[in-house]
Amino acid sequence: MSKAVAVQPTSTLGRLWHKWRFHINILLLLVPLGFMPKYFADASLFRGDSGLGERDIGTVQVGPWSLQLAELRNEAPRPDGPAGYMKSFNAALCDTCIDQVKAAYLRIGKPRSLRAAGVIFFGTPYRMGATLPIPERTKADAELWITLEGWDGSMHQAAIPLSQASPATIAWLAQRGAK
Amino acid sequence: MSKKSRSKLWFLVHSWLTLPIWFFVLIVCVTGTLAVVSQEIVWLATPKARATQPSDDAPLLTYEQVLSAIHKAEPALAVQSISRPDESHFALVASVVYPDGRSPSLYISPYTGVIQGESPSFDFKAFTRALHGWWLVPFTNGYSWGWYLVSFLGLPLLGSLITGLVVYKKFWKGFFKPNLRFKHGARIFWGDFHRLCGIWSIWFIAVISITGLWFLIQAFMFDNQISISTAGNPPVVARQDVPIMPDGKPAPQISLDQAVKIAADNIPGLEASFVSLPSNAYGHIEVGGPGWYPLLFQTADINPYNGAIEGSRMIADRSGLELVTESMRPLHTGDFGGLWVKLIWFFFGLILSMMVLSGLLIWTKRTALATANALKRSEKPRRAAALTAHSQQPEEANV
Repeated sequence: MSKAVAVQPTSTLGRLWHKWRFHINILLLLVPLGFMPKYFADASLFRGDSGLGERDIGTVQVGPWSLQLAELRNEAPRPDGPAGYMKSFNAALCDTCIDQVKAAYLRIGKPRSLRAAGVIFFGTPYRMGATLPIPERTKADAELWITLEGWDGSMHQAAIPLSQASPATIAWLAQRGAK
Repeated sequence: MSKKSRSKLWFLVHSWLTLPIWFFVLIVCVTGTLAVVSQEIVWLATPKARATQPSDDAPLLTYEQVLSAIHKAEPALAVQSISRPDESHFALVASVVYPDGRSPSLYISPYTGVIQGESPSFDFKAFTRALHGWWLVPFTNGYSWGWYLVSFLGLPLLGSLITGLVVYKKFWKGFFKPNLRFKHGARIFWGDFHRLCGIWSIWFIAVISITGLWFLIQAFMFDNQISISTAGNPPVVARQDVPIMPDGKPAPQISLDQAVKIAADNIPGLEASFVSLPSNAYGHIEVGGPGWYPLLFQTADINPYNGAIEGSRMIADRSGLELVTESMRPLHTGDFGGLWVKLIWFFFGLILSMMVLSGLLIWTKRTALATANALKRSEKPRRAAALTAHSQQPEEANV
């Protein structure tokens, strides 16, 4: 019985544990209750009920076409293991260009060619997403380049300042640069 | 240590495992039990999620027929995938996107292709699974800590099973002489109940705790970039295979039925229970379903422009280790053999929940006293005085 005796409460800490141990249940139950609003906000975000993303960037004209762009989350890039930090954007093509655009890409900095246009968007023309790696050394004046490829083989590009596309990312870069 | 006191110690370990968090364990058991039959609960609560055969000989529509019916009813809808639940009383589920960007699931009649309705914005199935699986703690960097919290319970669960069998002398006799005494008071009844349920759910508790522990290992491996996967990167349609269209219109693609036929012709045993449409111009049509081994899905990636199979993941492609680890999830959820397997999992889930409760009841009626006595016996008198004070706390004395 020596082991059982060893755990008996004699110290202050032991007494506190003895008195409050069953209250851990209450703390544990508060966890899902506390996260519930976040859970439902996320469910609505992914179902598209609360718009294209958490923060709308606006409409970007790309050659003859245009698309609406939004940050999936209005926050700093998230770490993704060895892949580094990632930032997700959502987009919707303009009504008239849905049938003409074959693919859409995102990249930080101007792509040299279509093959290096960056990450491709997945999804439907009404709501598609791309997850972009953000190098930690990205400059604060960097530009987000959007490349649209047409079914006819044409290619059109446009750029917006990263500060306009994602202020949260700029703030994050500034913070990391300061370290 | 004598044999008797050793078994006493085992008994105390069994009694105290997870005791302080008994309510958490209970809720995890109950939500898990509900999650097993969440699809059926949705079926009961939502008439539009059901499939009714218009006449006895009405045939099932093919995937392409369903897609055409959707487009006829809602020309602007973008369809991402169509899946056929493995029980015929469920409607087909199509994942779609509306022009305004909303992306609900639609319930489609498998016989007529009629859109019966939209999935409600409160997704009961997803909610119960999120609550049970990761305690609603969001995933922000790798696995959520809620996932670790819940899957860690596999350890005390397995511990309870082992210590329970150790302290229950000759437990196998209980199979032949079931004992459930009603007339000897609550403590005797709950004790009998706990033991009877325990021996009949040995297999279930072992399955749930081991698969639960696998979820813990899986999260740990993922978060530490350890991979045992033999699956390569998902294939992409080669740039030269995607036609350039002088008229600027999208290139024609093969029909879903052609894709299903190509997959079935080339991959024996592949039964299409879902079809995913290409997720962009360089994506494949994915056809998938269970094969000869009901626990795992097989998939084929078909080039939508020329019909070539450019990727597949079959049972035979998995390593032995993957066959075991990938079987863990279906074994945990019981969703591999239709309604009856689910009902068995549901029933034993209820029993397991009742075991948590009955264990607690026995504890309040017996173990609290036994522990206090055991301590008292082996204690010096001056410390025993302090103990008595503790055992008089309401939660231990006689709740």
